[in-house]
Amino acid sequence: MIDRRKFITLLGSGTLGMLLNGCGGGGGGSSSDTSTGTGGTGAVSPTIPTSSASGRVIVVGGGMAGATAAKFLRLWGGSGLDVTLIERDRQYQSNILSNLVLTGQRSMASLAYTHDKLSSVYGVKVVYGNVAEIDPAGKRVHLADNSSLPYDRLILAPGIAFDTLPGLESAGDRIVHAWQAGPQTVTLQQQIAGMNAGGVFVMTIPKTPYRCPPGPYERACMVADYLKTRKAGAKVIVLDANASIAAEPATFETAFNFTHAGVIEYHSGVTINSIDPSTQTLDTSAGLIRGDVLNPIPPQRAGTIVSNTAGLANVNGRWAGVDVRSYESTALAGIHIIGDANGSTQPKAGHIANAEAKVCADAILRILAGGSPDPEPVTNSACYSPITASTASWLTVVFGYDSATGTMKAVPGAAGEASSATRDNYDDMFVWFNNLMGDTFA
Amino acid sequence: MIKKTSACLAALMLFGGPAFAQSADSGRLLASNCFQCHGTNGRPSVSGFDRLAGASSSEIYSELKEMQGKTVGNDIMKVHARGYTDTQLRAIATYFAAQR
Repeated sequence: MIDRRKFITLLGSGTLGMLLNGCGGGGGGSSSDTSTGTGGTGAVSPTIPTSSASGRVIVVGGGMAGATAAKFLRLWGGSGLDVTLIERDRQYQSNILSNLVLTGQRSMASLAYTHDKLSSVYGVKVVYGNVAEIDPAGKRVHLADNSSLPYDRLILAPGIAFDTLPGLESAGDRIVHAWQAGPQTVTLQQQIAGMNAGGVFVMTIPKTPYRCPPGPYERACMVADYLKTRKAGAKVIVLDANASIAAEPATFETAFNFTHAGVIEYHSGVTINSIDPSTQTLDTSAGLIRGDVLNPIPPQRAGTIVSNTAGLANVNGRWAGVDVRSYESTALAGIHIIGDANGSTQPKAGHIANAEAKVCADAILRILAGGSPDPEPVTNSACYSPITASTASWLTVVFGYDSATGTMKAVPGAAGEASSATRDNYDDMFVWFNNLMGDTFA
Repeated sequence: MIKKTSACLAALMLFGGPAFAQSADSGRLLASNCFQCHGTNGRPSVSGFDRLAGASSSEIYSELKEMQGKTVGNDIMKVHARGYTDTQLRAIATYFAAQR
């Protein structure tokens, strides 16, 4: 029953795969800047099966969550499924490892990814544009160019939006958060490079939940590690709105108290009232604090398409409430929210966004086929964090569905962090990163 | 030994089959938790972590059980492997064994 055309396609792909496999696969474990995000790897590209699945799925947002969802809808759902990815930017700039741009260890270009393979390998229709509005009743997505697209199921993966801190807007490029990798990352890198001996770098951490729980602590470590060998006497002051370190506490307490002792000064329970760009001063709950470079990370909420769609942002008015068996909105049927924008109990980070996307894609395929989602989904969060220019730590958590609360809960015994920051972890970090990005975009 | 094999065969019948099964199955979704580090369908993009595609299911299963039971040392897979039940580990192992 296999038609001739499909047979040839399968054969062709297999042969090509073997050839690629024979010569590819190198480059892992390198801390150099040579592995480009958009470059090819030795991975075999799977063939999309022909399938009886049908339906139109639109994915809004081509970051870690959205790209994974689009890929796996086609990989698992087959060629009968019409998958359209709507994305604003031609390139995705990875937030993961972007703290290494601040220290000059990675370039922005090495952390850039395109959606080309989603289209060429998986047959995802990629539309570059801005979403203006969603019509949940009419099941259509309206774009800024006045076009509109119909859907049977809609996935929103818009990432995060930032609160405005009083004074921050008037600072322009002088004070940046750089918590969304992009031009601000480069600006912050230049500011750090331009610091003088004895200079002071001040960063602030918002209350949880925010994107990438270990990220701010990792940034403090990397900036401290950079400054200590280049700017004698320079300091990193960390003002944390949380009562204590929000991720990998043992790792970062060790890093702050020993590895980077004398450079990092950590203060918990400090919140920001306002910023005065003219004097480079933060007005905080602990008083006025001046810095040569200010890096305030604002509180966050779901990306704007969630707040602009009435009803969706029903968790603390900031995040989209979802049924974590399918990531379908608890407010609007047919709309699923994955990644940082939802209000699940899971962390907001790229690795678990990828896992959420797969659960969502699988659930949508089951629903379109007349079934129901997996009643016991499992996800995992894993992450490597650099602590110095040559060492890293890791954390991992496996989450299982808890029917009593309807939430994802850490499986007992399956959550932990590295016992120390090591060179091996640092090397593994790049293997993890490259495979994660491959699983997401290629 | 025989018991183990028959359990694997049973798991294969339940969860296995071709790489692109027509219906969604829990082995596939569970196994996708490994893809982030070990590559889509167990085929890594870069070398460094094990390739799982096409490995024998009994080997994958026994390695995961060994990691679960480790009492000394601390590595990421020791913690991660504890997130799955025995049935889930078998389903994961069976899924990767069927990949090429």
